[in-house]
This record gives sequence, C-alpha cells and structure tokens, in this order.
Amino acid sequence: MDYVYTILILIGLFVILASSFDLVIGHCGLISIAHPIFYAIGAYVSAMLAKEGGMPIPLAMLAGGAAAFAASVLVALPSLRVSGDYLLIASIGFQLGLIEFAKHIHSIGGAGGLTNIPPFLVNTYGRVSYVLLVLAIALLTVLFVRWLTRGPYGRMMAAMRDDELAFSMLGRNAIWVKVSIFAIGSGIAGIAGGLYAHYFRFLEPDQFGLLQSSAILTMVVVGGMRTTLGPVIGAIVLQILPQAITFFGLPPSILGPLQGLMFSGLVLVFMFARPQGLLAAPDIWAGRDSKERRDG
Amino acid sequence: MADVLKVSGLNKRFGGIVVADNIDLALAKGRVLGLIGPNGAGKTSFFNLVCGVVKPDSGSITLVGQEINGLPIRERARMGLARTWQNLRLFSSLSVLDNLMLGPRAYSADNLLDVVFRPGHVADSERESRERAFAVLERTGLAGIAHQPIRDITFGQQKLVGVARALMNDAQCLLLDEPMAGVEGQAYALIQKVVRDIAASGVAICVVEHNVAFIRDLCDEGVFMFAGKVLARGTVETLIADPQLTELYFGT
Repeated sequence: MDYVYTILILIGLFVILASSFDLVIGHCGLISIAHPIFYAIGAYVSAMLAKEGGMPIPLAMLAGGAAAFAASVLVALPSLRVSGDYLLIASIGFQLGLIEFAKHIHSIGGAGGLTNIPPFLVNTYGRVSYVLLVLAIALLTVLFVRWLTRGPYGRMMAAMRDDELAFSMLGRNAIWVKVSIFAIGSGIAGIAGGLYAHYFRFLEPDQFGLLQSSAILTMVVVGGMRTTLGPVIGAIVLQILPQAITFFGLPPSILGPLQGLMFSGLVLVFMFARPQGLLAAPDIWAGRDSKERRDG
Repeated sequence: MADVLKVSGLNKRFGGIVVADNIDLALAKGRVLGLIGPNGAGKTSFFNLVCGVVKPDSGSITLVGQEINGLPIRERARMGLARTWQNLRLFSSLSVLDNLMLGPRAYSADNLLDVVFRPGHVADSERESRERAFAVLERTGLAGIAHQPIRDITFGQQKLVGVARALMNDAQCLLLDEPMAGVEGQAYALIQKVVRDIAASGVAICVVEHNVAFIRDLCDEGVFMFAGKVLARGTVETLIADPQLTELYFGT
C-alpha cells in the first residue's frame, strides 16, 4: 500500500510542478526549463531550516517557497531586461551551476545527498494524511492557475504573447508581468520542494537536473499547454508510464535510459503529431466572465 | 495655440540612412497634422522616435511640457501618448472588446498584488473599463462585433479596432499610422468622422497617410517629409500644388 501512496504523492507533486510550469511557459510564454532548480531550492531550504534550525515544518515549507520565489526574481530580472531569449540561457546556467555548487557543500550533504530530513505528518497521522495534503495543494495550485489566467491578468499575458510592442504602447509593463509570473510559478515549485523533502527525507543535487526539466516539460506538452487539465493528465500519464515499464522486469541498465528516452521521445512525437497536446487550448482567450458578458 | 507635442532638433541615422534630420515639429491641441512624403521619407520612423520604439541620436521630445525622450514606451503611453500601427498589431488571440480593455492608461490588473488581495477593486476597475470600451465601440460603430475574435472581422473593422484601442488611452496626443490604407466605403467615412470628432474634443493628432484625398479631407495642415527632413509645412492644398514637392513625391 505504501507503494501506491508514494505514487500518489509523486503524482500530486508533479501536478503542482507541471501546472505551475505551464503558467510560466504556456500562459506567460517565458522560455525556461529550469523549473526543477526552484523545486530544489524549496526542498533544500525547507529541509535545512527544519533539520538544523528546528523550524516548524509548515513554516519551513513556506520559507522554501519564499526562497525559490526570491531566487527566481534574481535570475529573471536581469536577463529579461536584456531580452526574452536570455532567460533560457540564464536559467539553465543557474540550474546547472547551482547543482554543481551544491555537490561541494558538505553542510547540505554534498554530492552524497542530504539525509535524515525531519518527517511531517506521516509518523503521527499515517501516510494517507500526507497524500491528502499533497493532493489538496495540487488542487489549489490547479485552481489558482486557472483563476489567475482567466482573469484580467490572463488577458495581459495573452496580449503580451501576441504582441509585446503593442502591449507596451498601451502603457502595460511587460517585464513586470514576466518577472511576477516567473516568480509565482517558481515559488509554487519551491513549496512542492518542501513537500517532497519532508516525505522522502532524502535529497541529492543530481535529481534536479535536466532529466527532471525534460520530464516536467513533457508533462505540459503532452497534456496540453494552457489548459487546466492538460498538465494534470500529463503528470499522471508520465508518472505512471515509467512505473508501468518497471513491471517488464528489465535490468536497471536498460530501464534508466529507457525512461529518459521515453520523455524526449514523447515530446518529439507530440511536437509532430499533435503539437497542441492531448487537450487542445482554445485559440481565443476567454475570461471567466466572458460568457456572462456576452449574455448580459 | 498650446503645443501638446513638441519635437526639436531630432536626429536619427541607421548607418548611412538618415531617418530623422534635425526635425522640428509641434502638434497643437485640437488640430490634425498630416505627414506626407514618399516611402522611406521617415514618417513612420518619426512615430517610432516619438513613442520610444527607436531611440534618437539627439534631440528633445516634450509632451505637454515634459521631456519624454529617454522614457520607456509604457511611461509615454501613461502620460497620454497613443498610437496605431501600420500593420495594426492587434492582439489576435483576444476579442475586439478584450483588445480595448487593455487600453486604459491605468489597467485593472497592472498591480498583481491588487489581483490577489483586492479583487473587489479590480472588479470595479474592470467594470469601468468595460463601460468605457463599449462607449468607444459605439462611437466607432463596432459595438455589434465586440465579442468577435480579431481574425473573424473585416480588414476595415480591424483598422477601426486599432483606432478604438488607441482611444481607450484618453490620449492628449494621438499618432495614426496609415489609418485609411486598404479601407473603403463605410469604414472609410467612419474613420474620417471619428478622427475629426477626437480632434474636436481637444486631442492633438498626427496622421501618416498615402491617400492624398484623405489627407485633404481630414487634416488642418500638412508637413512634407523627404529623407528624414521636414521640407515644408502648410495647408494640404499648397503642398499638393507645389511642383517641386510633387516631383519628389512621385520621383523622376
């Protein structure tokens, strides 16, 4: 049963990651694949604050989210001021650089990983309680992204994707919109990191690398960018598929690369065969009040 | 008469091409000024310099007495400068109404903290903009297609949406880049009437247009530009009648 709970928690965490990443790359049109590094910052900050600082775990998780939020502003602000294309380069550099850096810091476990992270809920209320917590936060994330993107802020993001110059000429601040959305998406990933850390209780820098970037990207692309349920379906499918092929009894030397191939292969197949993903987003932005407006 | 926009000593060159050669130009409140000149004369570049899309090499640009040269595009817009674009630049994934809703100088959701923590305030502001947008749509004859996506409406209607979106700014100075190119019939008459009405309400307007008839019908005055220079300023009739300018316009 523990196996099923763990899968459910992983699905919940990846729903949070894919949904928040869709906010950044799909809705806001920001090209970055460094989402896992903000997941990592949330995880490490929360783990260290709870383990070494004795901070209550819920507070530590929030602090992890805040740290990811702050770090993402530091990455996004200078690069977006230069040009939109710089964000991709700057964020990947930040991701890979920070991972290498973390491997050499002994106080956070170095390359061997951070162990003995304090647990949360599981010892007192059982694993089900943690499953419920993660799924509740996943649901909140999905609803928040839907609410934000279907309101006046979503209208701004749609317009900015269409034509940034015309958008600025109306008096709107494109850089501010981009930095805000990048920071919110990254902050949510940071919260997911805290949730990961206090359940699995072990973190190592390498798990937050490009393989995870491609996994999250695949979830969003396969599920369907800019749809509410796309990232959810993508997260479920791509979490279950790698688990499913473990039942074929393949040796680990094949299994590992096969899972990696599956992610990039799926992205390629979908790019050609169904670029809109399993669920297709509508071409025209529709605010949450557009139906009543039309009727009224 | 009060100058709303005043440009002096404006220079800009791209390598060997001069797009602005020491331009001095003022736009007065309530007047419509037409920019005339052949392709490459620097008419659209003049708009781009005024709006901040292109940075001048030297010169000064003031909007109601305040220097705006060096300010970001969005700041100029928020001070009351609005424009349309030769290639429209409408938001194609939005409806006509939503295109306009983004146009006010202060937008309901400019501040993300308001969106999250003061939803009531944002909702009020949205309602206000919607009312204003519908008033502008009525005025431009677009109210019937408010909810249509941009790609489903005619080219003439798209031109009108461009003008309508710029009107949402409540601008003191309005720059119209070829508002009539490719437009005929009803939309033509409507654009003409709208531009006259806006000028009558006290806005300073500058129009780039190839259609000489439109310039004559619409503009109080014309400026002839050639190779980034202002060669002459006067009534449209005198400019058209000048054989030297005609020759420059049509080439030899």
